[in-house]
Amino acid sequence: MSHQLVTFDRDTGRSRLDGTHVGAGAWPVGAEGPSPDEITRSQSRRVRARFTPLAAFWVLIGAIIILPIALFLCVAFSPALLGQGTEWFTLSAFATALNGHLLLGFVNSLVIGVTTAVLSAAIAFGLAWIVQRTDAPGRRIWTGVIFALLLTPSYLVALGWERLLEPNGVLQTLGFDPSGARDVFYGPVGIVVVLTVKGVPFAYLAISNALRGLGHEFEDAVRVHGGGPFASITVVITLLGPAIWAALAIVFAESVSDFGVASTLANDAHFTVATFTLYNAVQAYPVQFPVAAAVSWILLILVVLALVAQGRALRGRSYRVLGGRSRPAVRRRLSRPAKTTVSVALIGFVVAALGVPAFGAVSASLISGLGTLGTHEWSLANYSRVIGSPSLSDPLAYSAELAAITATVTVILAVVCARVLASRGTTAGGRLLDLVLLAAVALPGIVFAAGYIFAYNLPITQALGIHLYGTTALLFLAYLATALPSTSRVLVGSMSQIQESMMHASRVHGQGAVRSWLSIVLPVIARPVISAWLLTYTATLLELPVSQLLAPPGSQPISVGITAALSKYDFGGGTAMEILAILSALAVVGLGYLLFRILTPPGWRHLGGTQ
Amino acid sequence: MSAISSIRPDLHRVGVHEHGQSIHVRSARKSYGTVEALKGVDLEVKAGTFTVLLGPSGSGKTTLLRAIAGIERLDAGSISLGPTVVDDRGIHLPPERRGLAMVFQDYALWPHMSVHQNVGYALRRGRTGSREAAKRVTETLARVGLAAKGSSYPHELSGGQQQRVALARAIVGSPALILFDEPLSNLDADLREHLRLEISTLTRESGATALYITHDQGEAFALADEVAILRAGVIEQRGTPESIYRRPATPFVARFTGLAGSFTGIATSAAGGRATVRIGDDEFRVPASAGVTEGAAVELMIRPTATHLEPTRGHSIVSASTGRNPAIAARIVDVAYRGRGYDHVVDCGHGILTAVFDEVSWTRGQPCLVRIDSEACMAFPEAAPIDGKN
Repeated sequence: MSHQLVTFDRDTGRSRLDGTHVGAGAWPVGAEGPSPDEITRSQSRRVRARFTPLAAFWVLIGAIIILPIALFLCVAFSPALLGQGTEWFTLSAFATALNGHLLLGFVNSLVIGVTTAVLSAAIAFGLAWIVQRTDAPGRRIWTGVIFALLLTPSYLVALGWERLLEPNGVLQTLGFDPSGARDVFYGPVGIVVVLTVKGVPFAYLAISNALRGLGHEFEDAVRVHGGGPFASITVVITLLGPAIWAALAIVFAESVSDFGVASTLANDAHFTVATFTLYNAVQAYPVQFPVAAAVSWILLILVVLALVAQGRALRGRSYRVLGGRSRPAVRRRLSRPAKTTVSVALIGFVVAALGVPAFGAVSASLISGLGTLGTHEWSLANYSRVIGSPSLSDPLAYSAELAAITATVTVILAVVCARVLASRGTTAGGRLLDLVLLAAVALPGIVFAAGYIFAYNLPITQALGIHLYGTTALLFLAYLATALPSTSRVLVGSMSQIQESMMHASRVHGQGAVRSWLSIVLPVIARPVISAWLLTYTATLLELPVSQLLAPPGSQPISVGITAALSKYDFGGGTAMEILAILSALAVVGLGYLLFRILTPPGWRHLGGTQ
Repeated sequence: MSAISSIRPDLHRVGVHEHGQSIHVRSARKSYGTVEALKGVDLEVKAGTFTVLLGPSGSGKTTLLRAIAGIERLDAGSISLGPTVVDDRGIHLPPERRGLAMVFQDYALWPHMSVHQNVGYALRRGRTGSREAAKRVTETLARVGLAAKGSSYPHELSGGQQQRVALARAIVGSPALILFDEPLSNLDADLREHLRLEISTLTRESGATALYITHDQGEAFALADEVAILRAGVIEQRGTPESIYRRPATPFVARFTGLAGSFTGIATSAAGGRATVRIGDDEFRVPASAGVTEGAAVELMIRPTATHLEPTRGHSIVSASTGRNPAIAARIVDVAYRGRGYDHVVDCGHGILTAVFDEVSWTRGQPCLVRIDSEACMAFPEAAPIDGKN
């Protein structure tokens, strides 16, 4: 192992040195005026010192992202290579994956993915139009609604609906008969509803950003030359082509990769989807790694196909509509009936997306004995039970601790990744990192988790003295690996905005590299870094697929705790845990921004904020 | 706030002393991949002088400036600032230890710091006491006319004000060397002139050595004690603005520093740095570069200041004379009003001359004579490729 480390070290260090300017990456040197000899010595020290952190970074990226996934995907073709069978090359795992129950899973996933993509893009376009191009009431709350939806895991939305509709659920307890709605919702319709709701924020962010940049002159030109409102909307949709295709591709990929709905609503409705067949293959006895890997391949191919389709649809056309001469769009004044209609539609969406799940979860957590035939009372008993019982409260504490550690390490590494990705004159290392992170973003979380189980269970891993399987450390590494790609992507935008000359100006005017970074770069990226930390914290706290597969014996992450309680028909306890987890996440987010506001100098705060 | 009004007569009382630092660059080489940005540049800058590196984009001037600042590292060659070697084989003094200041093209102000903090940052290295530092920052902001803007943030200032903050940051610490990286290129014409004057005055008052890069020859000639012209990673000529304008060493330098046009002809005689050039029926007795030999094809470079419009004599349009200051027959192609007078484009038969100035306007299509002052022309061997303002 140490030999490998040295080789990797030297290679990476050299390629890094070739492509880096002295500015930002340089090591600080002491403060006294040196003689040339001293400078030479300090220089060579500096060159050596640069090798280690960067090599360690690449070893980490290799260990947590590249190797587990690559090994796992290999086993689909070559079970013998990794001790999973006798054949060195075979497609039999694919044959299994594309037959019967498993094939049905793919077909279902594909249909669900396409449907949710189209529905989400259509709803998101309507929302974006209403928010940005009309004077509809309540426009300002939309950013909040979209971010709340973005942060809510799909299994929580599904569980909220289930609590309302299930036999002996909230509605039945309240004296309604939801059996008709239950029959409709427990199946593809419900799955599409939940995944569409989860897809809308992604599609909205893509489309609304593009719509914001689209000047009004294109619509004016249509109207001036005789086109009606419909013709002008057609032109807008065409011009927003890239954003709409991006929205379709993202929502399709998210829906196909989703595990939250697959393991809750779909599973309860006995509706097979691909991610759950993958989970079953890994959980089966004996475990079927080659089949799980083949399913992963097919899932990956579906995601890649969506991205390719997006690329092909746009090829050869120009969508350059954003220029210095674009005029800001004019808001259309809606008539009173139109305003009412729009308001009803918006409220309807919020109710379906957040209201019902929230009501389901909150009401279920306040009813004791829910899910049973006995008496039901409204009380806070579930909460006092959760807080009082270690088995119910420990998962939240465990997840909160892990999420805080994961968010901290992820953000530090993501800043490094973003720096490499944003650096001028991309190096080979930068391009490789870009590719790895892009692929990892497209990789479903459940594939990650399966890859981890496989790679860290291999005899060779054990022989190398790496005994991580079944430990919290491995769960942490898997969280890190799933969070790092998207967090890096979030931060790369901010890092790209930093003019190199700001660092150079600091160096030229007398500050060393480290002090320059701390006094110039850190303040500039402080707000996005805090946001990235809070985003990672929240996502990790409520993460399901990796937690489900990698939770160490004796410790339950909160998402596993919730689903475990629910599977034992402790609906009150499970939903109370859910509500407490969400409230704690909101409290951390609020506290994070509050501390940022209180503790940072005014100059830090006005960056990236609004006037 | 007018830039001019900010330069007050009491300037001499504040931080004025002779302490500039010399720069010595030897055989500086730098490549980016296959592109050679510097091909062995030698440059000497005397302490306390204002030197301008003039060159088109891609000539290597920014690379040279950044290497002197310590932001780039040379592949080969050496740089010394005063007696200290800052770049040589195995030596690279980081920028923060070179004791210099720099004004950046994009200003490079730090957006999270107020104007006062931005300027005060440059005093941190000097361990100036906070009261003394605040006093110097306030004084310096007053010198650049921004006394009232100390608590503003960069985004609250106009482009010209931002660049003045950058200038204040550069001079506040009384550095021995100030580097200027095309500081005026993002500003409009009026502001450029104001700020040019401020840079020239404040830098000279500070006593610092100044190295300034630009691609604008007007700016270079207006600012410089000495100009060095860079082309494709090599310095083509160095000298005072006047000497470069009067005696360009190469066709490139001649073109880059401003021509009305050029004619090709034959050298009928050449000796002692002068040549007689025949172009059609006209003859010019002009200064010539060393490569011009008798019978060789030459290119006659004509400065705008060498041209003067005269009316034709009678009805015949013929060349008026040959030799020292010939007048050649021409026709007005275009005329542009320039405020002080008119720039004309004239077709001389041998070629087109632009920027031919006269206080009165000539009519398009009108026949005329263009008298050429031979002393303001220069003959070069014709082989030189036409790659002037690239």
